[in-house]
Amino acid sequence: MQKGDNDMLISALESKASKDSITSSVSLGAKASLGNGNKTPDCSCRVIKSENFSFFYGRNAGVKGITMEVYPCSVTAIIGPSGCGKSTFLRSINRINDLIPHTRTEGRLLVNGHNVYDKNTNLVNLRRQVGIVFQKPNPFPKSIFDNIAYGPRLHGVRNRSQLQQIVENSLRAAALWDEVKDDLKKSALSLSGGQQQRVCIARALATEPGILLMDEPCSALDPIATGKIEDLIDRLQSDYTIVIVTHNMQQAARVSRRTAFFCLGRLVEYDLTAKIFRNPGKKQTEDYVTGRFG
Amino acid sequence: MIANGTVSGGQGGTAGGASRSLVLTPLEDLKGFLSLHLGRFALFLLACSSVLLVFLIFVFVVQEAVPFFAKFSTVEFLANARWYPEADPPEFGALSLIVGSLYVTITSLILAVPVGILAAVFLSDMVSLRTRDLVKPVVEILAAIPSVAYGFFAVLVLAPAMQSRWGFSTGTNILNASIVLSIMALPTIISVAEDSISAVGRDLREASYSLGATRFETILRVVMPAAHSGIIAAVILGMMRAIGETMVVWMASGNAARIPSPWWDLSQSVRTMTATIAGDMGETPKDSSHYWSLFAIGVVLLMMTFMLNIVSEYFLAAAKRRTGKV
Amino acid sequence: MRLLIRRITDKFFTVLTSASVILLAAALLVVLGPMLLRGAGAVVFDGTVEFRRMQLDLFNRGEADSIEDEVSRAAACRKVVYETIDKFKHGIDVEELSNEAKRIYRLFGRQLRYEGVTGDEYRRVRSLARELRNRLLEAFGSNDRALIERNVDRVLRYRGHRDFADSAASGFFTLAEDFLTSVESIDLNKRRQYADSLRQAEEIIFRLLGPRPDDALPALAMERYGATRWDMAQQLLDDLLWSKQWVEAEPGRPMVKVRTSRAGQFAGTGLEGLFKYVEDNLETMLRPRFTFYWQYLIDDSTPGHYFGGVGPEVLGTLLITLLSMVLVFPLGVVSAAYLVECASDTAAVRIIRMCINTLAGVPSIVFGLFGLAFFVLFLIPLFGGPSKPCILTACLTLAVLTLPVMIRASEEAIRSVPQTYKEASLGLGAGRFVTFVKVTLPAALPGILTGAILSLSRVAGETAPVLFTGAVALGPPPDSLFDPTRTLSYGSYDIAVGDRLAMMVPHKQYGMVVTLVLLILCLNGIAIVLRARIFRKLKGQ
Repeated sequence: MQKGDNDMLISALESKASKDSITSSVSLGAKASLGNGNKTPDCSCRVIKSENFSFFYGRNAGVKGITMEVYPCSVTAIIGPSGCGKSTFLRSINRINDLIPHTRTEGRLLVNGHNVYDKNTNLVNLRRQVGIVFQKPNPFPKSIFDNIAYGPRLHGVRNRSQLQQIVENSLRAAALWDEVKDDLKKSALSLSGGQQQRVCIARALATEPGILLMDEPCSALDPIATGKIEDLIDRLQSDYTIVIVTHNMQQAARVSRRTAFFCLGRLVEYDLTAKIFRNPGKKQTEDYVTGRFG
Repeated sequence: MIANGTVSGGQGGTAGGASRSLVLTPLEDLKGFLSLHLGRFALFLLACSSVLLVFLIFVFVVQEAVPFFAKFSTVEFLANARWYPEADPPEFGALSLIVGSLYVTITSLILAVPVGILAAVFLSDMVSLRTRDLVKPVVEILAAIPSVAYGFFAVLVLAPAMQSRWGFSTGTNILNASIVLSIMALPTIISVAEDSISAVGRDLREASYSLGATRFETILRVVMPAAHSGIIAAVILGMMRAIGETMVVWMASGNAARIPSPWWDLSQSVRTMTATIAGDMGETPKDSSHYWSLFAIGVVLLMMTFMLNIVSEYFLAAAKRRTGKV
Repeated sequence: MRLLIRRITDKFFTVLTSASVILLAAALLVVLGPMLLRGAGAVVFDGTVEFRRMQLDLFNRGEADSIEDEVSRAAACRKVVYETIDKFKHGIDVEELSNEAKRIYRLFGRQLRYEGVTGDEYRRVRSLARELRNRLLEAFGSNDRALIERNVDRVLRYRGHRDFADSAASGFFTLAEDFLTSVESIDLNKRRQYADSLRQAEEIIFRLLGPRPDDALPALAMERYGATRWDMAQQLLDDLLWSKQWVEAEPGRPMVKVRTSRAGQFAGTGLEGLFKYVEDNLETMLRPRFTFYWQYLIDDSTPGHYFGGVGPEVLGTLLITLLSMVLVFPLGVVSAAYLVECASDTAAVRIIRMCINTLAGVPSIVFGLFGLAFFVLFLIPLFGGPSKPCILTACLTLAVLTLPVMIRASEEAIRSVPQTYKEASLGLGAGRFVTFVKVTLPAALPGILTGAILSLSRVAGETAPVLFTGAVALGPPPDSLFDPTRTLSYGSYDIAVGDRLAMMVPHKQYGMVVTLVLLILCLNGIAIVLRARIFRKLKGQ
C-alpha cells in the first residue's frame, strides 16, 4: 500500500471525527418517533455480546471462538479478507443463517442479554429487533409502499393511516422520501440500484429495530450511491446500533467508531477504528490494513 | 432536516415490550412447534397424493385384469398371435398386438432419432441464440399439436396420398403410423437431448477446439460421448411417447391384428396394444372375458412403460452426475 | 489432403444438421398447413342461397324477406331446368307415363260419375277412354317408332270428340303430344340407358338445387337444401357434366377412372342443352356470396355434422378442461410447495418424486382404463352416484393425468424465485409459512400460471382418457356434471373415421380439428407471452 492510501485513510478518520462532534450535539434534540410518541433512545438495551461463539458449516468452521461486545448507538465495522467469516458472524446475530442446512454452533451469542441460539428464542421478535440489509439490494417485486409496509403489516399494523405514517417516516430516515414521495405505488424494481438499497434500508427500519446489520451494503453500488448511504449510516448511528461488514477499508474508516478485524474465522483485533488504522496492535492487522495481504 | 430525518430507534424491553420479548413463552413455543410440524405433515400428506394415485392405478388396472389371468393362460396370452376375442371359443393371443406396438415404435424411432439428435446438435452448437429462438417455437408447436390432429393428418392426408400416389394397397399401415409417430416423438427427443448436450459446458468444447478439431469432430468425439447418458434418456423418453400413443395408431395403423409377413414389409397393417384397448372397449360388455383381456393388455402396457421409465431415470441421473448440473 | 477430408466432412455435417431442422419445419408445414387451410373453409366460404335458407330455418338467422326474395329470383331460372327434365321424362320414363295415363283414366271415370252419367252411356264412354289409355300404354312401352306413331295418331283423332272435350281425358292428348315430340329426337332403343342416366342427373340436380318448390319436404334435414357452399356446388356441377366410371383399361392392371360427357350421352335429345344451361346459369340459380360463418363455433350441428357447427363440442371441451384444472391446480401447487420448501433428501421424498415421474410416464389410454375402473365403476357408486361415464369422471381422470405436469411446472417456478427474497422476508421477522404465501408464491405465480395454461392445452387435446370416461360423439348438451358430453377431441376422431356422412362435408371435418388445434395453439401462445414477460421482469431486476 502506498503512502497515498494511508493518507486517505487518515484523512477519512479526521473528517469523521469532526462530523461525529456535530451529530452528537444535535441528536439530543427532539426527534420524531415511529408512532409511539417522543422517546429518547435507551441505548443500554441494544447490546450484542458474543462469548466464544463458533459457527460450523458441516465440519468446517465459519468462525471460531469469537468473543466481542458491540457497543450501542454506534457503528461497528467488521473487516477482513474474503472468506474470513465476517458475513457468517453477522448473519448469526439474527439467525438468518438458519436457512443453510447442516450447520451448528458453539458458545453464546447474546442480543439484549438473551442467547439467540437458545432453543426457546422468539425468532419473529428477534428479527423485528435486529434488522438486516443485504449485499445485493433485494426489494420484493411489489410497490415501494408494499415493500416498506411488509414488516409492520406482519406484526399487526392494519390501520391504513398508521401504515402510511410509518412508510413516510422510514423513507425519510432512509433519505429517500423526497425522491419517491410522488409515486409510492411504483414497483420497487424500477428504481436505481442505490435507491433500491435505500428502500431495503427503509424496509428494515420500518419494524423499529434497535440493531441494524449491514452486509456489504454498498458493494453493488456506484460511488455516488455509496456516498449517500454512508451519509445515511452516519445519521442513523445515533439511534441505532449498526454493525457493518465491509471490504472497503476506507468505508470502514469513514463510518465506524469501532472496527473488528477478522481473519480465517477468528477475531484478530477489535478496537477503536482510529487505533486499528493508525496504530494496530497485532502484526496481522497491520499487514492487512497497510495492504500487504488480503 | 435532521430533526425530521432522525427517528427514535424503538423501545428496549419495557414499553410494549411484552410482545417483543426475545424469549418464547412455553405456549408460543408449543404453538410454533405444533403448527410447524402439523403444517409440514399436512403438506406431506397432500404431496403423497401422487404416491396414492400411482398405487391406485396399479391396483385398479390389475384388479380388472386378474379375472382374465385366472381364466386364461398367461403364456398363451403373451406367445400366441391370434387375437379373436369375439370368436367361439375366444382366442386371446396378444403377441400380434405387442409386436404391432413394437413395429410401430421401433420404426418411428428409426426415423426420429437421427433427425432428433441432429436437430438437437443444431440447436445447441450450430447456431446463434437468435436463430435458436426462432427454431424453438417450431419444436414447441410440434409438441403442442394434439394427437387427434396428427391422427387426422394421417388418415385424411397421408393415407390417401400413400394409396393414390405411391401405390400402396392400403393407406393405413405401419409406415403411415410410424411417420406420424416420429413427428410426435421428435420434440421430446430434441428437447431432452438438447438439454443434455448444452449441459456439457463450454470448457470441454474449448479444449477440443484449441487442439485443432473441427466442429464435427468436437461434437462427435467430445460432446456426444460426454452427453451420451442424456441422449440415451432422450431416446427412451421418445420411445415411451411412441409406445403409449393411442389416437394416431388407432386411426393410422390399419387395425389388423397380425404379424406382418414378410417381416420387413412396412406397407402392411398392424394393430397396437393401445389401439386395441381404445377400439374394443366401446363394444365390450362389462365383466366379460374380452373386457378383462383389455385390462390385461393395459397391465402389459403399464409394465413396459414403467420399465422404460426406470431405465430413463437411471440415464438421466447418470447424466446429472457426469456434468454436475441438471 | 487429410485436412481437406476433415473440412468436407465438417461442412457435410453442418448441412446435415441444417437439413434435419428444415425437415422439422417442413413436417410442421405439411401437417398444419393443409389442415388449417381446409379448416378455414368451414368458416370462410362462398355460401349459396340454400345456405341462407338453411340458416334461417334451422338457426333463425337472417332476414326472411330478403331470403324469400332471393329464392324467388332463383326460382325463375331453375324452372327452366325442371321443365326441360319433365319434358324429356315424358319421352322416356315409361313407368311414369304409364302411371300418368292410368291416373287420367281413373280421374275421367270419377268425373263421369260425378256428372251423373250412368248405365250404358257410362260404360260406352268409359270403354272408349280405356281404349285410348291402352293405346297410349302400348305406345309408351314399345320401341317401334312406327307403332308409336300409329297409336298416338289414333289417340289424337279423338281430340275433338264431344265425349272428351273439357274433361279430364284431355290429359290423354297432351300426354300423347308431348310423348310424340320428345320421342321424335331420341333413339328408342336407348331408353333404358337414358332412364338410368337421367336418374343420376336428377339426383345430382336434387343435391344441387334442393327439392322442387312444389314437392313435399323430405324428412332428413340434409335433403331439404341444395348445395349450401359454392365449392360443393362446383363439385356437383362437375359430377353433373361428366359421368365417371371405373374401367379396366388393360386386363390385369388396376382400374382407371374414365370421364364421359353426360351431354354427349343425351346427344340429339331435348336434354342435351340442359347441361350447358345449368353450367351457365348455376350462379343465378344459387346466388353465391362471401360468407363469414363465425357462428360455426357456437352452432349445434345436424345429425352427421352435415350442417351447423361445433358449438356443443367447444362447450364440452372448455367445460372439461377448466374443471379439471380447478381440480389439479391446488393439489399441484401444494405438492410443489412441499417439495421445494419442506422436503429434505429422505426416502419418503425420493419415493414421492419417483411416483411423480411414474405418473408422467403412464400412457394416456391406461389413464382411461384407470378412470373407468376407479372413477366410473368404483368411486362414484361409492358416493351413491350413477355408475356411468360423465363430465365429472372425465375431469377427475384428466386431473390425474395432468398432475405431474402441474407439479413439475410449479416446482420449477417456485425454485426460480431468488433466495434473496426469502432471506429478506425472514430477516423482517416473517415466519416461513407467511414468507411463502406473501412473497414466494406471488413471485412464482406467473410461472405457475404458465404451467397451468400449458397443462390446460394438453388436457384439451387428450382423447384417449375421455373415451370411456365421459365423452360421446352424439348427444344432447349436458344438464349436469353427471352427464356425458361431446368434446372437440373425441369429435375430431369420430368425424374423421366414424361418420360416413361427414365424408361428404370435408370442410366440417377439418373445421372441427382446426378449432381444436387453434384453441390449443392460442393457449400455448398465451403461455409463451406470459413466459416472455416473466423473463423480462426478472431481467429488469
